[in-house]
Amino acid sequence: MMDLLTQPVGVAHYLVVGAILFASGVVCMAAKRNALGVLMGIELVLNGANLNFVAFGSSYLAPGGQSTIGLDGQLMAMFVIVLAAAEAAVALAIALCYYNSHASIDVDRANELKG
Amino acid sequence: MAPINWHSVFFLLFALITCGSAVAVVVSANIVRMAFYLVISLGAVAGLFFLAGAEFLGALQLMVYVGGTMVLLIFGVMLTARGPLVSMQTGGGQWVLATLVGVALLAVLLRTAFSVDAWWHGPETADQVVTAKDTTTPLGLALLGLRVDRPDPQQATAPQGVLSGYLLPFEIISVHLLVVLIGAAYLARAKKRVGKPTGENAAGGGGVSDE
Amino acid sequence: MVLKDVLPILLATAWLLPLASFALIVFFGPRMGKAGRGAGLLATGTIITGFVLSATALVCWISEYPPQQPELHAAAQGDQGHQAAADPGSQGHGLPAEAAAEPHEADAEAAHPPGEAHAQPEPITYYWYSLGEFGSLQVAVSFYIDSLTIAMFCMVTLIASCIHVYSMGYMHEELEDVTDPLVTLSSGRAFTRRGRYYRFFQYLSLFCFSMLGLVIAGNIAMVFVFWELVGICSYLLIGFYIERKSASNAANKAFIVNRVGDFGMIIGLMAVWTGLGTFSFGDYQDQQDVEQPGIFSQVRMAREAAAEHGGLPVPQGMIELPTEAEIEQLALAAETPEKAEENIEAELDRRQRRGYWLLMIAGLGIFCGCVGKSAQFPLHVWLPDAMEGPTPVSALIHAATMVAAGVYLVGRFYPVFTPEVLLVIACVGCITLFMAATIAITATDIKRVLAYSTVSQLGYMMLALGVGGWVAGLFHLFTHAIFKALLFLCSGSVIHACHTNEMPQMGGLLKKMPWTAGTMLVGCLTISGAGIPLIVGLSGYYSKDYILAQALSFQQANPQFGWIFFYAAAIGAAITACYMFRMWYMTFVGPPRDEHVHQHAHESPKLMYVPLVILAFFAVVGGWNLWLPGMDLGIEPLLEQARPAVTAEGASIPAVTYPAEHISHTDHAIHYGATWIAFTAALIGFLFATVFYGVRKLDPEDARRTFAPIHHFLLNKWWFDELYWLVVVRPALLISGWIAAVDKRGIDWLADNSARVVAAVSRLDDWIDRTFVDALIDLIAAGTHAVGLKLRVVQTGNLRQYVMLIAVGTVALFVLISLYWNYAMAG
Repeated sequence: MMDLLTQPVGVAHYLVVGAILFASGVVCMAAKRNALGVLMGIELVLNGANLNFVAFGSSYLAPGGQSTIGLDGQLMAMFVIVLAAAEAAVALAIALCYYNSHASIDVDRANELKG
Repeated sequence: MAPINWHSVFFLLFALITCGSAVAVVVSANIVRMAFYLVISLGAVAGLFFLAGAEFLGALQLMVYVGGTMVLLIFGVMLTARGPLVSMQTGGGQWVLATLVGVALLAVLLRTAFSVDAWWHGPETADQVVTAKDTTTPLGLALLGLRVDRPDPQQATAPQGVLSGYLLPFEIISVHLLVVLIGAAYLARAKKRVGKPTGENAAGGGGVSDE
Repeated sequence: MVLKDVLPILLATAWLLPLASFALIVFFGPRMGKAGRGAGLLATGTIITGFVLSATALVCWISEYPPQQPELHAAAQGDQGHQAAADPGSQGHGLPAEAAAEPHEADAEAAHPPGEAHAQPEPITYYWYSLGEFGSLQVAVSFYIDSLTIAMFCMVTLIASCIHVYSMGYMHEELEDVTDPLVTLSSGRAFTRRGRYYRFFQYLSLFCFSMLGLVIAGNIAMVFVFWELVGICSYLLIGFYIERKSASNAANKAFIVNRVGDFGMIIGLMAVWTGLGTFSFGDYQDQQDVEQPGIFSQVRMAREAAAEHGGLPVPQGMIELPTEAEIEQLALAAETPEKAEENIEAELDRRQRRGYWLLMIAGLGIFCGCVGKSAQFPLHVWLPDAMEGPTPVSALIHAATMVAAGVYLVGRFYPVFTPEVLLVIACVGCITLFMAATIAITATDIKRVLAYSTVSQLGYMMLALGVGGWVAGLFHLFTHAIFKALLFLCSGSVIHACHTNEMPQMGGLLKKMPWTAGTMLVGCLTISGAGIPLIVGLSGYYSKDYILAQALSFQQANPQFGWIFFYAAAIGAAITACYMFRMWYMTFVGPPRDEHVHQHAHESPKLMYVPLVILAFFAVVGGWNLWLPGMDLGIEPLLEQARPAVTAEGASIPAVTYPAEHISHTDHAIHYGATWIAFTAALIGFLFATVFYGVRKLDPEDARRTFAPIHHFLLNKWWFDELYWLVVVRPALLISGWIAAVDKRGIDWLADNSARVVAAVSRLDDWIDRTFVDALIDLIAAGTHAVGLKLRVVQTGNLRQYVMLIAVGTVALFVLISLYWNYAMAG
């Protein structure tokens, strides 16, 4: 634990954080009955992925100062952010539609596709 | 005792905040609180971005994600909370299942993260940490098709040996955003409501309670 | 134009014109004039044209090969003793050997180069069209033209022309609707039908075509084809009044009985084909254009070889020579070389005798066909019933031409007959002539009398041919054709006038029908052989004379049994005269027996009695030779030109000697003896008839009572019809009844029940299909449905569950990949 404070941080540390975010996001998606809760889980997942990208593209974290994928990492993260925003907008629109038609935001009620 | 690496200290701080808030999002039952914790988490992620040298991205994260997306989500919460604020709880069994799944996923990801030895080591010496590179300009230029960070085509990793810029994805994303704009506006247009929200639902697990 | 190019064209045209007439009448008959009147003119015109062409052919022939009366040549050799030169009625001989024996050879050389006068003219073999080649067998349409052919053509076309003209008058009632009194309908009414005038001439044309084709045929297969054709025409014409049961029965009988004979003929054809390898009479070209010997050449070569080396005269093709292996075996089996040679000789002898048997079978088979066609014993039963047809039909077919076809074929095929076969022919002819003559005495139907007379005269012809008298038999064929046609047409005239066939209803018609009576009298005299003995006679006199002379010559050569033939012939001549004059007296002389008939009787129109006069003329002059410069034109000289060698030389087998025909003419003892006996016999018969029926001094009823059993036997035609009914027809009907029962109860039962079995099997299959196969399919479908229903549960529509599943899937995938991942795969 003390090493964490003295030694420089590597990519793996970022990956761990990203993994935790990702896993929480998945659990949130799986366990929340509120549609907006599901959306929040999605945000968490995307953020975890962004962290990974940035970690790989960061020259501060890589040995030898040479990052694995360089600027590409940040660029991809940027694109993800933009797309996440767009997707959040559409998802919200869907959730609102759902709310308007079902008078409830509970996704468990959305079983018209039940076979 | 080695000198404190303040980079790592701040990293740890932000990491803890992020993870804690993320877990809190999962655990919390109140949708508004969930939104709040999410905001915290995303802000901490922005901090992490700054620590990783992606300052433009961090700023972007704060502006777009926290300032835009989260606001959108909160608006959504507001719009879908007619009547008594109901909070839906999932049953215990489902929590167990979800937790198991999450833990399994986490295990897989962590295993992957631990597998590569090179990732555990940061730069050997502090001197080797390069001076803060300006990433904003190269990012912008890359978006316009000019890769100034990799001027030498020999170093390129693309199969054809030519590293192209991100102009095309840039344009595509622009169009995409336009489409999304239109689509979302259409989807969310004002429509007739289907009756009053009843709130009672025998199907599905867990009851509804006022929160 | 050479003769061998001209004659085939002339004769083929004459032959095919009636076919064209037949075809036209078949398609346009009803439209030719009112009720087909034009058909009669067309057919008659065609056949008269045919006669003109035949006469032209005759003129061409005699200008190339002038016929000679044999004894005239002997006279020209300077034999002053003979007055025969100016006497056309006397006999002579035609053999160069005899002439050479006479001490007039020098004169003979001077008068005629021997080869030219006595050489037989070469028959013209004309190959027209090949119908098929089966191995080395050629089936072709070919002609064999010699003087016999041309004479037959002239005779057939002449008589057919007269009969066609006669028919135009006789059949006039067919131009309107006909009420047939002999047809009984179930309702009892009289039967009325449309007239069938054109159809009659259609059949007549077809018949003329068939008969002429038979005469001109150059191979025995073609003869057979036309043989059957004339049989069909006979069937069609006998059954012309098809609504009468008696007529249709008679037509069936004629055809079936002929068929029995044709069965033997086919066996003969097969023997000919097997042994001689060809059907052709004359020499022909095979596929490689090599000249091959025809039937006559092969037989002649066999006879020459036998005369040279001894042994039986068998054509090589008929002997099955032993193989090398068999000869070796025989040689090895013997003890000494001499014995071996003996054995081999004996074996070759056996083989040769077997070949001789084959030759005999060929001859007997062909003769079988002639027995059927010429109504010889035992196949004579159809001819009297054939009188159901109209009288012109009886005249043309059943008197003059078709029945003569059998005799013609015997004459044509003569060289192939071995002496044994000739003996059989003679016996058959003998029996026939006697039997038919006896039946004719008691017959009351005028046409029946003539029918049996025909059978009897055909028997005479067969007898003549059988005892070696080739020219005699065929000469009688010609004269008989003329006078029998005449007699039939006269009887037709009588029937037309009296509307009845029965002689007991006639009588006293002499004044009413003078022409008919006169011509019929000429006919009766001819058939009786009337004439002044040894000086002059009607045509029948000459031909009957020749026959009896040959029979007497045969008797002299074979004293032990030859007398049967001669005495039968002589007695037959007496009976012939008797029944013929009986018929004439009963019809024309004395008080009328039926007033009604007598009142309505009238002479026939000119169209009908002019042919009678023409035929009567030919009946009178038929036996005479027309003395033209360089030739004698007559039937006998013409026939002499076609004489086969075997009759000129005579033949003999250990038991029988066949004297050469010329002996009967040269040996005066035989010749005069035969003449006087014939004359006496005819006279006796004539006197009997006159006494009983002419002047009616004696009562025929009395004679009938005295000889009641014999009369009864004769009146019932020797019970032949009843015998055949019992022995042949009834068993056939019985067997056909059994077979019909087998068919109905056995085969039909089998067929019906197999159909039922099949239906039952199909029902079973249906049950199996529905129960097992369908159930299986349904089971599979049900299983799939059940699985689907079970799987349906997975789709809950629950979003969170889906998310969980995605996560689980991802984890699982990662785990799997990580288990099997190694960096080498990354490449």
